[in-house]
Amino acid sequence: MSEKPTKEKPADLGDLLADPRVGQLPAVTRDPIPAVQALRVGANQQTPAVGQRVTRLDIRTHITGSTRYIDDLAFPSMLYVKILRSTEAHARILSIDTAAARAMPGVVATLTGDEIPENSFGSSYQDQPVLAVDRVRHQGDGLVAVAAETEQQASEALAAIKVAYEPLPALFDPLEAIRPDAPKIHRDNNVYASKVIIRGDVEKGFAESDQIFERRYSTQMIEHVPMEPFAAIALWEPDGQLHVYSSNGRITLGRADLARTLQMPMNRIRVTATFVGGNFGGKNEIRTEPILALLAKKTRRPVKATFNREDEFVASTTRHPIIMDYKTGVANDGHLIARSVRLILDGGAYASWSETTVGKAAILAAGPYRIPNVRVEGHAVYTNKTVTGAMRGFGAPQVAFAYESQMDEIANTLGMDPLAIRLLNGFTEGSISHTGQVLQAVALEETLLTAAKRSGWMEEGT
Amino acid sequence: MHQIEMTVNGQVMRAEVPAETTLLSVLREAWGLTGSKLGCDVGDCGACTVLVDGLSVNACLLLAVQVDGQEVLTIEGIGGFDYLHPIQAAFERLSSIQCGFCAPGIVISAKALIDKNPHPTEQEIREALAGNLCRCTGYTKIIEGIAEACRIPAGTDGSA
Repeated sequence: MSEKPTKEKPADLGDLLADPRVGQLPAVTRDPIPAVQALRVGANQQTPAVGQRVTRLDIRTHITGSTRYIDDLAFPSMLYVKILRSTEAHARILSIDTAAARAMPGVVATLTGDEIPENSFGSSYQDQPVLAVDRVRHQGDGLVAVAAETEQQASEALAAIKVAYEPLPALFDPLEAIRPDAPKIHRDNNVYASKVIIRGDVEKGFAESDQIFERRYSTQMIEHVPMEPFAAIALWEPDGQLHVYSSNGRITLGRADLARTLQMPMNRIRVTATFVGGNFGGKNEIRTEPILALLAKKTRRPVKATFNREDEFVASTTRHPIIMDYKTGVANDGHLIARSVRLILDGGAYASWSETTVGKAAILAAGPYRIPNVRVEGHAVYTNKTVTGAMRGFGAPQVAFAYESQMDEIANTLGMDPLAIRLLNGFTEGSISHTGQVLQAVALEETLLTAAKRSGWMEEGT
Repeated sequence: MHQIEMTVNGQVMRAEVPAETTLLSVLREAWGLTGSKLGCDVGDCGACTVLVDGLSVNACLLLAVQVDGQEVLTIEGIGGFDYLHPIQAAFERLSSIQCGFCAPGIVISAKALIDKNPHPTEQEIREALAGNLCRCTGYTKIIEGIAEACRIPAGTDGSA
């Protein structure tokens, strides 16, 4: 199914801006908030709540400081857990000696990975150890958990743990990691998730194009930095049920991961979600929950672990850096004829949500534009870096940066207004997406024109 | 161990603490005032902001012994579920806050500003919030909320 770009280049943007549909969104107002009328929703009818201003149900406790986040919860006799993390990016673990730490003041118990019934987790591939046993693959890998009477005692005990490593060659550049002779981080291939999308014939499209634009774009690793660091509490109920409180935003997945790692039936596990002080995708997996469950069992006391800011940076997930090679063929009138994209996602040490991310990045990589010939391939690659996973948009912001940058470069070279080239090529009602979906309720043109009008884009001197 | 005594939200409070105890941990753990939050523990995020003798400070950086004999105001002393401070009322009206973790510190910083300067410019509001981070909503509705609480016309200093 190929779609021919049929739309003519707009002669005058002023005419489009005069379109009565433009600027119909209500202006921001400080007027008194109208009362919301009782909801009487008929079949296929828009709920009357849409467009009304409503008060957030949870805001009053937030602004008075009375919301109970997980770090505001405590249980009698609760212990505090800290985790020793790898100092090496890639190494074999020769030995771990916790004897001195166990003798430290206030220390009640320690836990290593060999005590975890099924020591692996992950949202698509279970390639991540809860605590590393024989090998570390990045500096955030946990090795030993210590439960103590106070957080400070637990932290001090970490310094008494002795770990011997045999360093292995480490990879920090995904382009090096995809070379056939690169050291292997997990299995026999560092590329662990791929997505390819083909529509039309890009080579033929490039041959038919008047001009070709090629450039590499890249983005950096980003940490979610939620205001509230990740935290969890585990305790065993008198009837033998495990009860975990967690700031995890996906508790049903968390419960499944707990059942798997602890080799327990799911119906013996209760997970209570607490108010989340910012997630953004960084609290979508278990982090410490199985460790806390086992330490609570060992010590017969509730245990809690709260990440500090360093834990949050090295032992949670981050946004994938992506190296994005774009090649676009255009006609001199600005129509896009062909686009090929290669995405190399720095997947970090473990898969986490990379499979989802490479998929979404690839699906969106050609942009919201009518292009008859498209080829996109995306690959997630293991490196010995911080784990990359879910973060708002799952790869969409990275590719948007690349394709919109290239649209600007094309417009600039062709001497076109950047708005005009987007209006010329943008998806319209009924356009077919690069994956073959017929699009409905497409408001791209209206949105662009409204933004142009509101921002004064077409005014002189801007 | 050190004996400390301070007035917190108008009430005299006492505790016995090791020297390294921060004001934040004595407020949260000894006295159960969990409204002040631990976000970064290094004075960057402002979620722990409280007033000590009227000055806004990061409670994670002050030792409890340094505040001995002084007067402390925390979020719990500013408003409650049934009696909102005008700043809180404006935040509620405008939905200025999303996850809420930064809110107590921001309300305190805003109160510190308004107590000294009841009619701040937008620029002065921005400067008063320089020590408070929010990761959810951005700052627009927070700044608008503080301006609304002071009933100053929007954009009085010409900035966005």
